[in-house]
Amino acid sequence: MEKLKKYISVKDEDHFYHQGAVELLIFNFLLILTILTIWLFKNHRFRFLHETGGAMLYGLVMGLVIRYVTKSSDVESGIVYECEKLKSGPSTLLINVTNHVYEYQYKREISHHNVHGHQGNAMLQKMTFDPSIFFNILLPPIIFHAGYSLKKRHFFRNLGSILTYAFLGTAISCIVIGVIMYGFVKAMEHIGQLKQWEFHFTDCLFFGSLMSATDPVTVLAIFHELNVDTDLYTLLFGESVLNDAVAIVLTHSISIYSPKVNPNAFDAAAFFQSVGNFLGIFAGSFAMGSSYGVITHLTKFTKLCEFPMLETGLFFLLSWSAFLSAEAAGLTGIVAVLFCGVTQAHYTYNNLSPDSRMRTKQLFEFMNFLAENVIFCYMGLALFTFQNHIFNPLFIFGAFVAVFIARACNIYPLSFLLNLGRKQKIPRNFQHMMMFSGLRGAIAFALAIRDTDSQPKQMMFTTALLIVFFTVWVFGGGTTPMLTWLQIRVGVDPDEDLKTKAASQTASNLDKNTTKAESAWLFRIWYGFDHKYLKPLLTHAGPPLTSTLPEWCSPVARLLTSPSAYGDQLKDGDTDYIINNDELTENYESSAHIPVPAQDRIGSIQATGKEDIQEGDLGLGGYKLQLQHTAGQPQNNSLA
Amino acid sequence: MRPGEGERPGIALCAVLPLLPLLLLAAGGASGGAERRQQQQRHEELATEKEAEESHRQDSVSLLTFILLLTLTILTIWLFKHRRVRFLHETGLAMIYGLIVGVILRYGTPSTSGHDKPFSCSQEDRPFTTLLVNVSGKFFEYTLKGEISPGKIHNVEQNDMLRKVRLHHFSFFFNILLPPIIFHAGYSLKKRHFFRNLGSILAYAFLGTAVSCFIIGNLMYGVVKLMKLVGQLSDKFYYTDCLLFGAIISATDPVTVLAIFNELHADVDLYALLFGESVLNDAVAIVLSSSIVAYQPTGENTHAFDAAAFFKSVGVFLGIFSGSFMMGAVTGVVTFTKLHCFPLLETALFFLMSWSTFLLAEACGFTGVVAVLFCGITQAHYTYNNLSVESRSRTKQLFEVLHFLAENFIFSYMGLALFTFQKHIFSPVFIIGAFVAIFLGRAAHIYPLSFLLNLGRRHKISWSFQHMMMFSGLRGAMAFALAIRDTATYSHQMMFSTTLLIVFFTVWIVGGGTTPMLSWLNIRVGDRVPSVEEMSESHWLYFRVGVDPDQDPPPTNDSFQVLQGDGQDSARRNKTKQESAWLFRLWYSFDHNYLKPILTHSGPPLTTTLPSWCGLIARCLTSPQVYDNQEQLREEDSDFILNDGDLTVTYGDTTITANGSSGPHTATTNLDSRRTKSSSEEALERDLGAADHEVASRGTRLVFPLEYNA
Repeated sequence: MEKLKKYISVKDEDHFYHQGAVELLIFNFLLILTILTIWLFKNHRFRFLHETGGAMLYGLVMGLVIRYVTKSSDVESGIVYECEKLKSGPSTLLINVTNHVYEYQYKREISHHNVHGHQGNAMLQKMTFDPSIFFNILLPPIIFHAGYSLKKRHFFRNLGSILTYAFLGTAISCIVIGVIMYGFVKAMEHIGQLKQWEFHFTDCLFFGSLMSATDPVTVLAIFHELNVDTDLYTLLFGESVLNDAVAIVLTHSISIYSPKVNPNAFDAAAFFQSVGNFLGIFAGSFAMGSSYGVITHLTKFTKLCEFPMLETGLFFLLSWSAFLSAEAAGLTGIVAVLFCGVTQAHYTYNNLSPDSRMRTKQLFEFMNFLAENVIFCYMGLALFTFQNHIFNPLFIFGAFVAVFIARACNIYPLSFLLNLGRKQKIPRNFQHMMMFSGLRGAIAFALAIRDTDSQPKQMMFTTALLIVFFTVWVFGGGTTPMLTWLQIRVGVDPDEDLKTKAASQTASNLDKNTTKAESAWLFRIWYGFDHKYLKPLLTHAGPPLTSTLPEWCSPVARLLTSPSAYGDQLKDGDTDYIINNDELTENYESSAHIPVPAQDRIGSIQATGKEDIQEGDLGLGGYKLQLQHTAGQPQNNSLA
Repeated sequence: MRPGEGERPGIALCAVLPLLPLLLLAAGGASGGAERRQQQQRHEELATEKEAEESHRQDSVSLLTFILLLTLTILTIWLFKHRRVRFLHETGLAMIYGLIVGVILRYGTPSTSGHDKPFSCSQEDRPFTTLLVNVSGKFFEYTLKGEISPGKIHNVEQNDMLRKVRLHHFSFFFNILLPPIIFHAGYSLKKRHFFRNLGSILAYAFLGTAVSCFIIGNLMYGVVKLMKLVGQLSDKFYYTDCLLFGAIISATDPVTVLAIFNELHADVDLYALLFGESVLNDAVAIVLSSSIVAYQPTGENTHAFDAAAFFKSVGVFLGIFSGSFMMGAVTGVVTFTKLHCFPLLETALFFLMSWSTFLLAEACGFTGVVAVLFCGITQAHYTYNNLSVESRSRTKQLFEVLHFLAENFIFSYMGLALFTFQKHIFSPVFIIGAFVAIFLGRAAHIYPLSFLLNLGRRHKISWSFQHMMMFSGLRGAMAFALAIRDTATYSHQMMFSTTLLIVFFTVWIVGGGTTPMLSWLNIRVGDRVPSVEEMSESHWLYFRVGVDPDQDPPPTNDSFQVLQGDGQDSARRNKTKQESAWLFRLWYSFDHNYLKPILTHSGPPLTTTLPSWCGLIARCLTSPQVYDNQEQLREEDSDFILNDGDLTVTYGDTTITANGSSGPHTATTNLDSRRTKSSSEEALERDLGAADHEVASRGTRLVFPLEYNA
């Protein structure tokens, strides 16, 4: 008898196990379908549906099938138990069933009309996986890849605008959405649609913050394919990347915000605590990410290059642990991993062997691709398999309105302000395009699904899901028509952009660059520091430390400079570092044009002979490039 | 309140941050009369939020622990490789680090939460996976976590940290970690040597595993009986449990030994034998253990021998194995891509297809590991040729990294499990018995089988090889994964603990002793003489199954030039080989003439190999590229060396024997029939034919580098 029971338990486990396989298989199948479709589309140059949109579509279909074809295996588990002894929902519940004690874990609160739906359908249960998977497994590769592939040259050129859009813009959009949603919630309460639960202002703000994480993958992919103007690309990409970081931290600090006395009254202490939290978390994550990046640099002292596989493995693991240690420390892992990616692209990449460079790039590309498509597939699935949706038409309508208004409030006023300071204006059509490409994607979804405990959160989740669907399909599909309608230049080769048409406006260059110099002065100082001290310390590139540091610390310098730094001083070695040196040099040079940094260069002339030659070369190149690369910009203006 | 709302966005636009307090204040005033109930609820909400936060943090910490372990392991491996320390392999290291962290977690972290009393509020007769509870008008959803034995209610989870680290999900091992390891093994099977020793490998893997399973099972049953007599056994332990233990522990996994062999360039035949055995062995052991679990006698006496159930088990074994094999092979073949222009898509598709094979087989009730193994082999054979050059290196590197990470993860988890698994049952008698049994089992497996095989083989497996094979019966990831699959009962827990100890012992002691053992047994290592010819030979040797595309494949010509040696006796020696390989020869010609052209872009076009009456179909099925390929003669062919080269040599071998003694007509007809092909193709073929003759006359030196030793 006992044997029989054991056998049954084994069989149960086997059953369970197979179901795990089935669920993964469904995802695999969806992804394979998506890949094949993408291939078809790419072959035929269809641009109206991006791969993520396709993944979502397939997910939707599959969700529909699963929802209405599979039967609830455990019929009775839809029954609700009354329990008088319980006063609230404890996190774990021990239940005594015929002398066996079972442990139950609290999952969420559910609304009335979802109680008898598909509760207890094991298949649906399995298909909704733990939200922590999104945060620990799927998001890090996406974000890291974004950081790792930030086009640095253009990114740093537009740094000021990007930061403004990302920080101020996200804050604005969060607050605008929050306020409008609060209005709608009040209206709903008035009408009487919202009786059962309370919807606080903080909840609205929470919704606002999660909805302000834009993720224009679709648009960016099309831009990339069509070679749209690089400045626009950089603005959008940089904004969306940093935006995610800001939105995540913002969401976190809003959810922490807990006034002591009255949940709806304003509590200054708690508010400032939240702001402090925001700043602290952001700075902490930034520091954590960068320091992990720096730790990885120390690989320069090892000769790990002999084993590319180990190198790749190490790189991968360290990047991931940046994420995890930030999470473990209570900071935001996403932000940490983003900055870790940026630092690693800047420094560590140079230390890797050529083989590993390829490997890491391909590995992260691959993981990014898979993770992104899994998330979008899952979104499609979630619309039908998630069992606790709360569709509220008024709320959804309000959210749509709020999202558009907020995007407009974010882009137009900020662009206006930025244009006051920028010499190279952001033209109207760019602004329209940016307004248009406020798609919502993976981050918004992940933030919304992270917390579906209470009913307001479930309603937010449903609404966020619908907004993602709408924006990805409609806006993503409309990108190409929009581009032609707005007459935005396509087919721009980013390198040609800089080289051609150098001749004409030499005079206008001078004053054009003064503004650039102003916006970039911080950057210039940092670049000088970076080039002279950090680069030699952390990589094999750059001048040896012995030449840049003052003489009295030469013993330290000699210790810290890697022997190959001396060897690589020649030109041939330098081409290897093209990724950052080239990109940054240009920046440096554009600022070098202004008389001030001449002193800077005087300082570096005291370097060793070889170094001197190199610097001189760069200096010359600077003047030449200077003339060239702003030439393409007036054209933009004339287009506008 | 509502009329004011319209202005707010406008205000917010102009000056956002400074106004935030005002906004919040206004909002607060809106619903000013908040009740106490609300507040209380809010606090509860916050409490659960905090709890979730805490749990998330612990998740992160536990993952971080693993990742730091892996990082440490990588750094140490690098150090070891750099200094050429060979007594400790990376897996051993990973285990040591895991062990240390396990000790720290076990004794260094404080125990956390106690527990409440159990509620018994409902009268259901069995547990549900989901429980809905109505608490004062609100519905809460609870999910089943597991059963708790009544004695433990008050100290359920003293240590939350341990609980986090102890991944209970064996499905995690099976669905995520094992497939890359096994697939990589299949993908990198050295085909040439593997197929040359196919008979022996199959004998070792199938017969050997069955023998070792039964011997270990019987010995352990004896031990268990003894324990019962002494009174050390506190719970039931059946004969089937013993057999299950035998099956679990028969899965050898000599990663350590193989890595050392690879590094020292030990004899290739020995390498192929060990590697092939261990790979197939895993598959056999898995299927065996699942069919033992399925063995369930029908009658009253549940532990007597029941012939029907036994044969049913055997049937299950055969069914599962062949089903998995078919499924793997079919998916491997189906992965027929033309996505050349998009390497990323291609790689992703390849990866997903391979993984789906595994999952599909699992979902159908077959064994995923076996399916993915054969999928790997088939894909290396066919699909690899269809991939673009970039995708080839991408897939190879991807699987290498995945394999590396998964393997080290499993081993460091093993180290952790020794201390963090809380239900260990160490029984000294059982452990000693198990150690004795596995050595006896290994001996009973290797020596008699080698003896039998040597009767048939011309090219004998020497004594030193046999000793080495006996010695390298390490247990590793697979045994562990099988053991952790089910730790519900007393007997299974005991088996798990014992398996863990055996893995530790064999990986450290036996793995560490490989290098001394090799020199003690006088097994040739580093068989490379620095002459030009030898260089190209070794070059070619390392270019295995396309797992090493860093070195460019030499054109086939070179490899044939290497195949020079002295003639007569090598031809005679090949007689036995030809016998064992006749099946393979048939298959090869079928493969080359029909399968290759259908499935890949290489090989002769179907139109030439099929009879003329099916020319229409042939034209449909042949990809246009094949014709192009045929035009570009040699240069193109070197690309396909991966399998063409590998197999051609085998093919060459059999032709040798054909010329030498037994069946000259088959080979010549073969060649004749090939002469009737299109002109470009013919040129190529003639080249091959010429090479064949050359090989035949001169014998093979490359193929038998070990004859000096034998």
